Amino acid sequence: MDLRAGDSWGMLACLCAVLWHLPAVPALNRTGDPGPGPSIQKTYDLTRYLEHQLRSLAGTYLNYLGPPFNEPDFNPPRLGAETLPRATVNLDVWRSLNDKLRLTQNYEAYSHLLCYLRGLDRQAATAELRRSLAHFCTSLQGLLGSIAGVMAALGYPLPQPLPGAEPTRAPGPAHGDFLQKMDDFWLLKELQTWLWRSAKDFNRLKKKTQPPPAAVTLHLEAHGF
Amino acid sequence: MPAGRPGPAAQSARRPPPLLPLLLLCVLGAPRAGSGAHTAVISPQDPTLLIGSSLQATCSVHGDPSGATAEGLYWTLNGRRLAPELSRVLNASTLALALANLNGSRQQSGDNLVCHARDGSILAGSCLYVGLPPEKPFNISCWSKNMKDLTCRWTPGAHGETFLHTNYSLKYKLRWYGQDNTCEEYHTVGPHSCHIPKDLALFTPYEIWVEATNRLGSARSDVLTLDILDVVTTDPPPDVHVSRVGGLEDQLSVRWVSPPALKDFLFQAKYQIRYRVEDSVDWKVVDDVSNQTSCRLAGLKPGTVYFVQVRCNPFGIYGSKKAGIWSEWSHPTAASTPRSERPGPGGGACEPRGGEPSSGPVRRELKQFLGWLKKHAYCSNLSFRLYDQWRAWMQKSHKTRNQHRTRGSCPRADGARREGHPLQHPQDTETVEQLQTKGSLLWEVQQTPGQSATWWSVTPASGQSRGRLGDISHIPWCVTGEPPSLGRFCIKPKVLKNLADRFHGFNYPTRVDGNYK
Repeated sequence: MDLRAGDSWGMLACLCAVLWHLPAVPALNRTGDPGPGPSIQKTYDLTRYLEHQLRSLAGTYLNYLGPPFNEPDFNPPRLGAETLPRATVNLDVWRSLNDKLRLTQNYEAYSHLLCYLRGLDRQAATAELRRSLAHFCTSLQGLLGSIAGVMAALGYPLPQPLPGAEPTRAPGPAHGDFLQKMDDFWLLKELQTWLWRSAKDFNRLKKKTQPPPAAVTLHLEAHGF
Repeated sequence: MPAGRPGPAAQSARRPPPLLPLLLLCVLGAPRAGSGAHTAVISPQDPTLLIGSSLQATCSVHGDPSGATAEGLYWTLNGRRLAPELSRVLNASTLALALANLNGSRQQSGDNLVCHARDGSILAGSCLYVGLPPEKPFNISCWSKNMKDLTCRWTPGAHGETFLHTNYSLKYKLRWYGQDNTCEEYHTVGPHSCHIPKDLALFTPYEIWVEATNRLGSARSDVLTLDILDVVTTDPPPDVHVSRVGGLEDQLSVRWVSPPALKDFLFQAKYQIRYRVEDSVDWKVVDDVSNQTSCRLAGLKPGTVYFVQVRCNPFGIYGSKKAGIWSEWSHPTAASTPRSERPGPGGGACEPRGGEPSSGPVRRELKQFLGWLKKHAYCSNLSFRLYDQWRAWMQKSHKTRNQHRTRGSCPRADGARREGHPLQHPQDTETVEQLQTKGSLLWEVQQTPGQSATWWSVTPASGQSRGRLGDISHIPWCVTGEPPSLGRFCIKPKVLKNLADRFHGFNYPTRVDGNYK
């Protein structure tokens, strides 16, 4: 691991390693409990709450980045953002995901997103913005724990950190500030989309684990950017 | 711009075959060259500039998809398209921009200068940081809550903060022991503050200063030298209680507890009380509350709600005579005075004047008043002597009735008199002791031979209040002839001055003790 002092990527690697090794939060359910239902519901609620929190955080943050980032139809090229986990998925594919895969994808996505979010190097932002970001990270950590709880309740193993992972810094010109701003923009966008998708994911899981008394039609569209 | 992509070894074998694009570790964040998306470069990248300076920039297109040339490219700054006359084509693949007299950055993350292709898509960007170097921070003030920590606050210099991010760093060192330390806990009591929680030494002065740094430079405040023991403050007194004093309609009793830190550190404390009427914003301050933990407020309006606050100043730290720093005011406590049940005594002569704050001992004020009185009285050669009850006791043996030369009355000066009662002789049988037991300050008016001396007793307006001079310095007093048929008027000490001011040409006597001739 490249851990030169002051190397932000090195620090990021450290953070990510720590994140992967966090013990999974045990499911809220104890033996003889009503099943994973309550924790699925809780996870669903968490995604809605985070969606709401993100809306205000993103608004403030994009204003900090300045126009054109805070303009409503802003659509820059996705460059470094290709490494972000994408929520966009084909409808049939999404429907056909089995529970384990569904949960795993959510867990891995948020792990990465949280990692990126923590690495947001915004020393220059106002103290208030930094506080909001920290608060959001904590909430996102809570979501991860909640998903882990559901997986444990359903008997699925948590995804393990990838071995041999090393941060590499691509040679070439340093990542300019403007490119960094674009990365930040896409990170927030991807977070929004994932939260929107997770709500649907957990809603679907909820219906599968509890046969509903009445049929509920689930409306879905695959979302692109 | 080529970029390396980490290979599939980054994936775990346990991962199910991904339907989504490969998830890579987030630590890899260097920009990837998309398929031809990022094909231009702006130079300079992320420059830092002074307000008012100019900038020459270029956007160079390379690589090459379908005929991307410098034709058709345009610039935007913070989302606004720049006027075409500011750009010019340098060569087939480069567009230049000349900006002059730059304004400060619109946001601290930098102005967004973007080079667009003909169709509006973003080719490249650069962040401009335009601002001023920081100005010297000033006005550093520090305090210590318990002699172990230190909190400091400062004011930033006027410029440099708005356009560029300015980082403030509070530094401190012991005066004679060279090592600089930096404070770490910022924003504890506001945006420009810092808290040093431990490892502070006593008895040696500290030098404290603030350094402000931004992209354009740095500035350093003046050094503040202080000794921790000189800037000690405490929490405000807890448990402030305000209650009525029996049925007295113009008094409230305030009680509080001394802050616990005082016991730990053997401080003494002095206190200040302030109070105001419910719907007013003017506070009256009571200053002379030494180290008691109770005080009686008098001279209040009956049937009114008052808000009271107390604050504390520790002193006598380790024997020093210096005062510390006043604490915050305690939370306001409210109480109301009882409603007035009877009309004012003396047939309406006794109404306390307006809301002037009354500070300073009544003794001085009354002496001043009587000095004025003497000057404007019809008779000459009046002399006043002020006795408090104890001195009167002692004076009794010296004073003989001979001093009361009864020679007729001497009417008071019109301005002071509120009722037109002629003065009369006091009864010869009146003794000093009798007057003294009323708990009043006694005044002896000694007139020229042949004139009767007039005894005036000065009592608190509300009746028999016994208290020390310090307690009663701010209440209205009534000056009553003895016997009362002589006449009576009530006045607040501070008002005496105002009264006197109405009679132009009057100068208060400057002596406050002894006799007035």
